[in-house]
Amino acid sequence: MPSYTQINEKLIEITLNNEEVYAKKGAMISYQGDVLFSRSFLTGGGIQDLAMRTATNEGYAMMLAKGTGKIYYGHNNLFVTIINLQNEMVYVESDVLLAYDNRLQIGTMFLGNQGGVQGIVRGAVSGQGLFTTTLQGSGQVAILSDGNAIGIAVTPEKPVFVDPDAYIGHKGNLSSNIVTDLNWKSFIGQTSGESYQVKFTGQGTVYIQASER
Amino acid sequence: MTIYNPNNLPKNDNLSRFAFVVDVAKEMFIRKGKMIAYYGQMQFESLGSSLLDILVKQSFNAPLYINNFIVTRGHGQLILGDNGNDIACYDLDNANMTIKASHLLGFTMGITCQESTLPGFLTLIGNGKIIASSNGPVHFLEPPCRVDDQAILGWADCPSPSYRYDYEHVKGFVTAVGAMTGISLSGEEKQIDFSGQGTVLIQSSEVGAGDGALAHLISQIPGLNKHELGSLNAIIAQNLRQRN
Repeated sequence: MPSYTQINEKLIEITLNNEEVYAKKGAMISYQGDVLFSRSFLTGGGIQDLAMRTATNEGYAMMLAKGTGKIYYGHNNLFVTIINLQNEMVYVESDVLLAYDNRLQIGTMFLGNQGGVQGIVRGAVSGQGLFTTTLQGSGQVAILSDGNAIGIAVTPEKPVFVDPDAYIGHKGNLSSNIVTDLNWKSFIGQTSGESYQVKFTGQGTVYIQASER
Repeated sequence: MTIYNPNNLPKNDNLSRFAFVVDVAKEMFIRKGKMIAYYGQMQFESLGSSLLDILVKQSFNAPLYINNFIVTRGHGQLILGDNGNDIACYDLDNANMTIKASHLLGFTMGITCQESTLPGFLTLIGNGKIIASSNGPVHFLEPPCRVDDQAILGWADCPSPSYRYDYEHVKGFVTAVGAMTGISLSGEEKQIDFSGQGTVLIQSSEVGAGDGALAHLISQIPGLNKHELGSLNAIIAQNLRQRN
């Protein structure tokens, strides 16, 4: 199976042994060995999944790399984090997805399913849409962040509140809802600027970046 | 990668180069929009709202920046981040420090914040902690020194600086016109001159934190409609008038 190695904070190396890996278009820095690159439309999912992604704007241009060798990936001076999954599901914004392979099942999730009306509000507030990309199974996935990605634990006793702009993904059994700090002042233009936060409850990990998109 | 929980989060210290954890026990000022996550119970209030006025009157004395800061109340652990800029914390002990306004992320009660005589800078006086961001790690210099005005972050305990122009650059006709009109200055011919005893803080890179915000703003513009662009234009014009 493909192995992911962190070279430095902004660069990863993926070793292929007659295998395939999907990675963000334009993120390949260099490669050694016998590797072929092609544009991937299905990106590991099915036809229905492709239609879903196109329709929901969770579309991402992915390149399929296939063969034997070492590939180096990095993108736009952003930090790269490798997340290990053990029969789990991770939710990430499609634009932060750097690389994954077919050990993981990719899908698109309607966040409205998760938090009901609150989920819809989330999309409207963060501008990141109502749909998010999911990866499920056991394996590794590389994600991008502006500044290093920070993992924050969520337990049933300790919920965590996150700025929607700093959110990049989460894993585990979490439910999110929007918490507002709205009061009469908000309607006369005196907002605190921190009026919307996403509250995560349950058991799992939330990934954030030290930057607001 | 470390997964943080309330027990292993640092206390009033850096989580990484780019994120800082504040143990909030009493009110403190933070820059609007720099909260990235928190544990616990917290409220964020804008300045100028009724109850806070007494508090604000004592600590926040910079009306130009009143819309850039909010007060956080409650208790818990608050994580701050600033567009991937480095963050550092400075302790003030009956001292004063002047910092570029766009880089000031927060300060605790016990510090009085006032506008510096140099536009775009805030002076903080008193006892407490200041959190500030910089493009790249902060470097400390001792006066006498001259600093590019785009790379300056702030200074502490030394007399207010003055501008110094490099005569060689001003001599030429074209650059002289540029210097007089205030345009076309690269920063190489206009430097900030420090003298006396104290510490000068410089950033590793010339591009300020404000530029990240600007890039973000510009990226939002294509999504606006004609009416919204008009009101944006009016806001910019109004802000420009206030700064002059």
